[in-house]
Amino acid sequence: MPRLRTQTKKAQIMSLEEACKAFMHDGAMVAWSGFTGFNRNPFAFAWQTVRQGVKNLHVIDRHGSCCTWLLNAAGAMKIYETDWMGWGEMAGKLDVNLERRYKKGEMILEDYSHGAMAMRFLAGAIGAPFIPYNAPLGSDLYNPKYDALGRAGMRDGKNPKIPKKKFIQFEEPFWGEGETILLPAARPELAVIHVAQAGDKGTARWRGVGTIDKEIAYAADKVVILAEEIVPESEMRKVPEANQIPYFVVDAIVECPWGAFPSSVPFYYDYDAPFMRGMDAASRNPEDMKKWLDEWVYGPKNWEEFIVKLGAKRLLDLKADSVTGYSTRMMRGKKPAPRMKMPLSVAMSGY
Amino acid sequence: MELIDKIPDEPAKPGEFILPELMAIQIAHQVRNDDIVFAGTGLPMVGIMTANFINAPNALLIYESGICDGKTMHVPMSVCDQRAANMSSTLGGLVDTFGYYLQNGYVTLGFLGGAAIDKYGGVNVTSIGDYYSPAHRFTGSGGNSDIGTMAHRTAFIILQEKRRFIERNDYTTTPGWWCWDFKTNEWKPKKEVWKGTAYANSGPVAVVTNMGNYAFDEKGEIYLKSFHPGVTIEQIKENCGFNLNVSRVEGETKKPTYKELFVLREFVDPELIFLPQKVEYPAHIQKIING
Repeated sequence: MPRLRTQTKKAQIMSLEEACKAFMHDGAMVAWSGFTGFNRNPFAFAWQTVRQGVKNLHVIDRHGSCCTWLLNAAGAMKIYETDWMGWGEMAGKLDVNLERRYKKGEMILEDYSHGAMAMRFLAGAIGAPFIPYNAPLGSDLYNPKYDALGRAGMRDGKNPKIPKKKFIQFEEPFWGEGETILLPAARPELAVIHVAQAGDKGTARWRGVGTIDKEIAYAADKVVILAEEIVPESEMRKVPEANQIPYFVVDAIVECPWGAFPSSVPFYYDYDAPFMRGMDAASRNPEDMKKWLDEWVYGPKNWEEFIVKLGAKRLLDLKADSVTGYSTRMMRGKKPAPRMKMPLSVAMSGY
Repeated sequence: MELIDKIPDEPAKPGEFILPELMAIQIAHQVRNDDIVFAGTGLPMVGIMTANFINAPNALLIYESGICDGKTMHVPMSVCDQRAANMSSTLGGLVDTFGYYLQNGYVTLGFLGGAAIDKYGGVNVTSIGDYYSPAHRFTGSGGNSDIGTMAHRTAFIILQEKRRFIERNDYTTTPGWWCWDFKTNEWKPKKEVWKGTAYANSGPVAVVTNMGNYAFDEKGEIYLKSFHPGVTIEQIKENCGFNLNVSRVEGETKKPTYKELFVLREFVDPELIFLPQKVEYPAHIQKIING
């Protein structure tokens, strides 16, 4: 039910370690910002989570990302309630550790679709218990037999974060518009959101796509904002319509430059496709995986050291340009990117 | 741009293009100038971008992460790439794309991929074998099931193999023209299951594979429309898991033109992210390009 509050939250500025210790714990139900492995993944927070040895997470989300890849690599995830389980650069392909752990019965996967998860978070964000959605009738997503949390006996009402039903199909009662689906609100315990800028009171802003980050912020009990930079709150108020999350929903602010690496923060830096290919290659055999984790997760003393380890050349290549918000210096495919010019489609369409 | 106008519209010859190029152009041909298109990552995205550069400059492209009508300079690797958001009309999120645009009925064409497809255009992107202990587990729906049922027309691109073109899917992520009615546990025409909803008449209209182009008949059953250059109808039937209707085949798939290939290679994916390689142009085209 809506969480009636008697006083406003006061966002604390914390270090990555402090925030992770304060808000992350075994079995927590978490949502991560961004979209797939490409955009604003709070990777530094997932990295710290793994370093702290947190286990049995219930991730409720819209996507697989660099964060979920890392959680799976370290075996930190128990329940994965989402709609797309690929990740980043390997778009379309399943994360290898996820597949292996799922087949061994170490994980529960609950399938929805993008639209359905967006609506569930929207319901959570507006304090509604459920939301109707014209979800695909006849899809096995809404086959009563395929309710993984129900099958695991977890829809008994004991966990207040897990709804008693996956969905309800019913006849639309107001307009006579046939059958429709009711979806339960998504109500994560914690939303971890990486943004471009945060005011020192917590007002947050990103550029580029919004995915469902505003919705997860309002749907979650606690909100941790990681920002490329913390600026005076007064600066954020000069162009308020560019802000998406107001300070009163935020619990903690962490200044974490390059904290979304290897995903992108539009207008700050681009995603690192070759690095993600390296992650995927490492996950394909347990020895390489262990080596990768030792080198990149347990090796560096802190996040700053992780970024320093990447080297100046890589960071220069990834630095976004101020016109497009991405970089054209990174080799993503087999040929370098051409120079910027007006998109042909603009000329063709006459805009 | 002037250069594009100089490249002839004549079809390329075999050996002057590769299969992924042919497939991308086939996707482009599905797009109309007045379409609002919602496309998935990979070849669908490349195909509709090509359409936006040639046959459908005013088609509006939606990418699910919240992008409305991106005008790209560099090929995006994903639907949430900042490259896809370049010069877009508005930028929102999933509630915008799946709620305001899709569920509210604005989207006229959805273009998607799939791991397997049934005879009625039902698509599986979730799992092969038993759902709870699958032989193969894929990424799951993403936007596939939403876009695939609420866009007015939908089209799919799928690799054609016997195990991917099948009578009935192990798991139906996106229902086609026939689907389950879970209230009665019957396999029924979609029009009955979706009766009364706004989407009862929406569904798959085309499938593009590495072997041919397909359409759907009055009963919602898939049939072969054209076979790609170098592929025989016999080979297609061998790579299909059910008795495929080939009686309506119109002939060989139109080969891409030099102009289409030029746009695809030089403007859509010059970085070779989705296209595996770049084929040399024949001498008379190269001469025009070199000026």
